[in-house]
Amino acid sequence: MEDEENGLASRAQAGDRQAFAQLVRRFQDRVFGFILRMNNSRDEAMDLTQETFMKAYQALPTWRPDARFSTWLFQIARNATLDILRRRQLVEFVPLDAGQPEGEALDPPDDAPLPEEHLSGRQRIALLEQSLHELPVEQREILLLRELENMSYADIAVTLNIEAGTVKSRLARARTAVLAKFQHHAGENRHD
Amino acid sequence: MTEPPSKHSPDMQQLSAYLDGELDSSTRHNLADHLDTCPLCASQLARLQTLTADFGNLPQETLGFDLAGVIEGRLAAAPRPPEKKRPARWWGLLPVSIGAAASIAVGVGMGSALLGGAAAMPRVTAMSVFDTLPPGGLCLGPDSCYSNGARK
Repeated sequence: MEDEENGLASRAQAGDRQAFAQLVRRFQDRVFGFILRMNNSRDEAMDLTQETFMKAYQALPTWRPDARFSTWLFQIARNATLDILRRRQLVEFVPLDAGQPEGEALDPPDDAPLPEEHLSGRQRIALLEQSLHELPVEQREILLLRELENMSYADIAVTLNIEAGTVKSRLARARTAVLAKFQHHAGENRHD
Repeated sequence: MTEPPSKHSPDMQQLSAYLDGELDSSTRHNLADHLDTCPLCASQLARLQTLTADFGNLPQETLGFDLAGVIEGRLAAAPRPPEKKRPARWWGLLPVSIGAAASIAVGVGMGSALLGGAAAMPRVTAMSVFDTLPPGGLCLGPDSCYSNGARK
């Protein structure tokens, strides 16, 4: 799969527009889904997805085949989204973990009986979406890249321009945070 | 992580990396052994696994139209600019630098030769302008000829 996408990218880089069109078709929904869950606006996500591919095409001469095309593409999508969020001043640059350096141990979520166990599948999905949107951007993006895009820590490090060790700690922190929020909302849901 | 289960808190970083298969084999084996005997850590790992499963159940968002056609139209209207040339290395500029330096040196040399060698000639010419007798002239005018002759 990786060889195939990089092969298409190499052809597109050489000027093959059909190859680029195939890349767009292959990644358009994944890029759109990522952006949508980052900024929570469908119209803006549609525009940003289009801009991401336009920017990718313009920047193709700078792409090197030793980098995975999808990683490079998500880097462009992520930067474009952060630009918009900054303009909207919606990026929280002081996340939940501000008081705790990324290397430090995390408090695990409460180990009490889980209030979410009674939830239906649809309710679980709704609560997860809600919990995800309440996370700071730094935690939300890393969860999306790992859990939905199934990226390796090395690819996440490249996409987010951070150290591989930071990926490990930030991801654990993000998982702990989303679990805590999920558990909290599930508890509220049960009392309703 | 190797402490008795009742005396430690689960290490979420290690559990999270374990879930992702991002631990080295030695750490992974140690943690696997520990999970067999520690219900606290096993419980937290199960929660992380459930979270991952929940993410897998999130609906796939779709754009709903073929973006490739839209992109193709936009690209046709505004083709990609040519690849930027990489800045030249210093040794690539060496022949140009040498040529430029040689040109300046030759120019300075020629200028010096002209100024130095011709210094006397213009001076004579210039002086002749202010001389009382023009070059080749015997006298300034009949009066002065006579007066000079009278003096002699």
